[in-house]
Amino acid sequence: MSSNKLPNAPETSNEAKDTDWVRVTSADGFAFLIRRKIANVSGTMRSMLDTQSNYAEAVSSTCPVEQRGIIVEKMLEYMSFRAHYEGVGSKEEVLIHEITERIPPEIVLELLLAADYQEGALNHTSLSTIPNVL
Amino acid sequence: MATALRSRTKPKIKPPRQLAPEFSSEETWTQLATNIREIQNQNARNLSFEENHRFGYNLVLYRHGEMLYNGLKGLIMENLDTLANEQITPVFPNSGGQDLMQGSQEAELLCKAVTKVHEDHCSNMVKLGQILKYMDRVYTNSAAVPGTWELGRILFREHIMLDSIRTHVINAILNQIRFEREGYVVNRSAIKGSVEVFTGLDSEDGKSTLYELYLEPAIITESESYYKAEGEKLLQLSDASAFLQRVEERYQSEDSRAHHYLSSVTASPLRAILKEHLLSPHIQTVILLPNSGLDVMIDSQKMEDLSRLYHLYSGVPTGLPCLKRALRESILQRGREINRLSVVVDEVDEDRGGGENEEGNSKRKGKIAKIKSANTGASQWVQNVLDLKDKFDTIWKHCWQSDRELESTLDEAYSSFVNMNDKAPEFISLFIDDHLRRGLKGKTDTEVDAVLDKTIIVFRFISEKDIFERYYKNHLAKRLLHNRSVSDDAERGMLAKLKVECGFQFTQKLEGMFHDMKLSDEHMGHYRTYLGRLQSSPPELELSVTIMTATFWPMSQAPPSCRLPPLMTQACNSYQRFYNTRHSGRRLTWLASLGNADVKVRFKSRQHELNVSTYALVILLLFQNLGDGETLSYSDIKEATGIDDLELRRQLQSIACGKYKVLKKHPPGREVKDSDVFHFNEGFQSDLHKIKIAVVSAKVESGEERKETRDRVDEERKHQTDACVVRIMKDRKHMSHNDLINEVTRQLASRFQPEPFNIKKRIENLIEREYLERCDDRKSYNYLA
Repeated sequence: MSSNKLPNAPETSNEAKDTDWVRVTSADGFAFLIRRKIANVSGTMRSMLDTQSNYAEAVSSTCPVEQRGIIVEKMLEYMSFRAHYEGVGSKEEVLIHEITERIPPEIVLELLLAADYQEGALNHTSLSTIPNVL
Repeated sequence: MATALRSRTKPKIKPPRQLAPEFSSEETWTQLATNIREIQNQNARNLSFEENHRFGYNLVLYRHGEMLYNGLKGLIMENLDTLANEQITPVFPNSGGQDLMQGSQEAELLCKAVTKVHEDHCSNMVKLGQILKYMDRVYTNSAAVPGTWELGRILFREHIMLDSIRTHVINAILNQIRFEREGYVVNRSAIKGSVEVFTGLDSEDGKSTLYELYLEPAIITESESYYKAEGEKLLQLSDASAFLQRVEERYQSEDSRAHHYLSSVTASPLRAILKEHLLSPHIQTVILLPNSGLDVMIDSQKMEDLSRLYHLYSGVPTGLPCLKRALRESILQRGREINRLSVVVDEVDEDRGGGENEEGNSKRKGKIAKIKSANTGASQWVQNVLDLKDKFDTIWKHCWQSDRELESTLDEAYSSFVNMNDKAPEFISLFIDDHLRRGLKGKTDTEVDAVLDKTIIVFRFISEKDIFERYYKNHLAKRLLHNRSVSDDAERGMLAKLKVECGFQFTQKLEGMFHDMKLSDEHMGHYRTYLGRLQSSPPELELSVTIMTATFWPMSQAPPSCRLPPLMTQACNSYQRFYNTRHSGRRLTWLASLGNADVKVRFKSRQHELNVSTYALVILLLFQNLGDGETLSYSDIKEATGIDDLELRRQLQSIACGKYKVLKKHPPGREVKDSDVFHFNEGFQSDLHKIKIAVVSAKVESGEERKETRDRVDEERKHQTDACVVRIMKDRKHMSHNDLINEVTRQLASRFQPEPFNIKKRIENLIEREYLERCDDRKSYNYLA
């Protein structure tokens, strides 16, 4: 799901670089350090970290995610995957099975919910292939 | 599908965890509303994004989207109203515009306030849009209401851009623009901010922005009236050059204004206003301003002003035509002045000449001055024309980007004033004569060449090229016969130039003259060897003969007869015999009037070598055998020589009344009368051994001569027209009257401007001579072979 861009809303401000580290915390106390570029795959996280609006999360560069650690981990995995393939030429094949194979079926629904909340963290096409894999 | 799946799948998919088991929409909204107010108060950094995002998420998820949306709307409206009341209304201008400075400050304040409110509002809406993004994704689309950002814009328009506030803001912006136009410094960023409020908002129907709807028309109306007044004011206060400078500044400042803080779309209407109201109504007045207009600029070579003038005028549709008109006027006026000057010189000459006739003697200086000034009159005229053209060409090249349209205007103007002077062809020919005559100017070949090149340019403007040809032929003949031309190369160079201009036919006869000169030289060589081989003794005097083909040379066919003394006749006969042995069947006619002779004369003090015309020699020979004190009367001389009156008088004048008085006249005086008596002046003295007498120099023709030339030219034109008509008809066989006239005019235009009436007369003449016949329709002609 693509994120709707707001007019006039800058995606990243001058101070915020793509290579900054940001912290993502889970509901059960896990913390992950990821590049801002990867966090920006999620529309929600991007807004959260937007230095222009400067909410408390942006000030501390920390994104709390109200999910279990395993869900957050999988979600970040996907986001890295997606960030990796973003902007590559259409000729290169996106090896979608590499990510779908690594999603345990037990958490699929939970992941789906989290993704919906995170706005585009997982796209529906990739998720819809999961039942077939199972 | 589902059954197939179930049968295969082992692992169980767990239901997702319940996130918020106890959910109260009212409570959530209350908390969110508080936070939204905090955001509106710029306190976002104290709030958790995650928390508020979740509030919005939950409200939408639990189907309270409508409540959330309406609540948000209410909060935004509330906030906007507060902002309007607190920040905008208090700074409404109230001075009523009496004081310029105060009014401007108030306007600036208002602009700033509006900008600030708009900026705050926008940043709020961005933040709200971020936390309520889930609502924008899920609720607004399905409920068919505008999203958060769009809602913000609509509410801003409805609550801030009300008529009451908008009018004030527009007035403030106009005030600031006017203030800046008056030359004061304004806070451009404040204006830019408030203009951006207008450009950023759409009108209710969504088709145009508020800027297009309200602000732009206001600016345009205001600018129109401003520049209308400005134009009048400028015209009264400043001269043309300052006016143009100001206009150019206005162009630039309006352009920069539009690009800096108005919309770039407005740049072109503003420019149009400037053109239409500031420049166009005044172009005529400015260019004709008596003390600073076009004429003065040209006179004082104000290159910068002139290029500015061109630049500005070429931008408006009426500009170039106006410039062209003024330019033509200016050139014509200058041309008339040049023409008038040359006429004045002429008239002075004639007056002086007349005066001499009555007063008789002691006016030798006057005579010399006359010759001089007549010649300089012609050269002066050409020089003036060249200078004028140079002047305008420089301007044209440097200031007017070599504009083709202007070039044709210039050429047209030159040619019309050049042709206004009916002596132009003669003057130009004289001018060329001056430069091609040997050793007159002390100029180098390249200089002469450059001058002649320029002369060709003037020549191009002449419409009556055949007249020029006639004069040129005369002058060339004199140069060739008297061996005075500076060099053969220079003459041929000039011919080549004329050939390029007017084609082969034009120079055919001139080239024939050169050819004759060459042939004559060869003949003389042969003649000398012929004389050497001859048994009988050669004639006593050395003869040099130039054979001229009658059709090439402009000399009159029937020579004034002259009785040559036997000595000379003998020499002539000798040559004639020689010539007839080489070319049988050719008739030689001796033109003694064009020749000259070297003769040694012994005076009392010493012997001098005189170079005189052949006629003068004939006259002098009459005195050879006379004793001391013997005299010959005018009628004696006339009878003995058979020279006609006019020519004889001139010859006598040159040897008896000129600088070197070889003969003495009784009574002394400048004019030769029938009763005068002459005797040989034995007491003649001069420092020079070799003396040249009676330089018949080329000079401006007198009225009578001119008339004669004119008649001859007219005669020639008749033949040319005849030839042209026949040529055309031979080709076409049948042609309507009008077509024929047009074609003839076109073909003859390179030589002269034929009158339709004259062509018609020639056609009638041709019909009489049965070259053509009139068709039955009375409008066309057939060619009769």
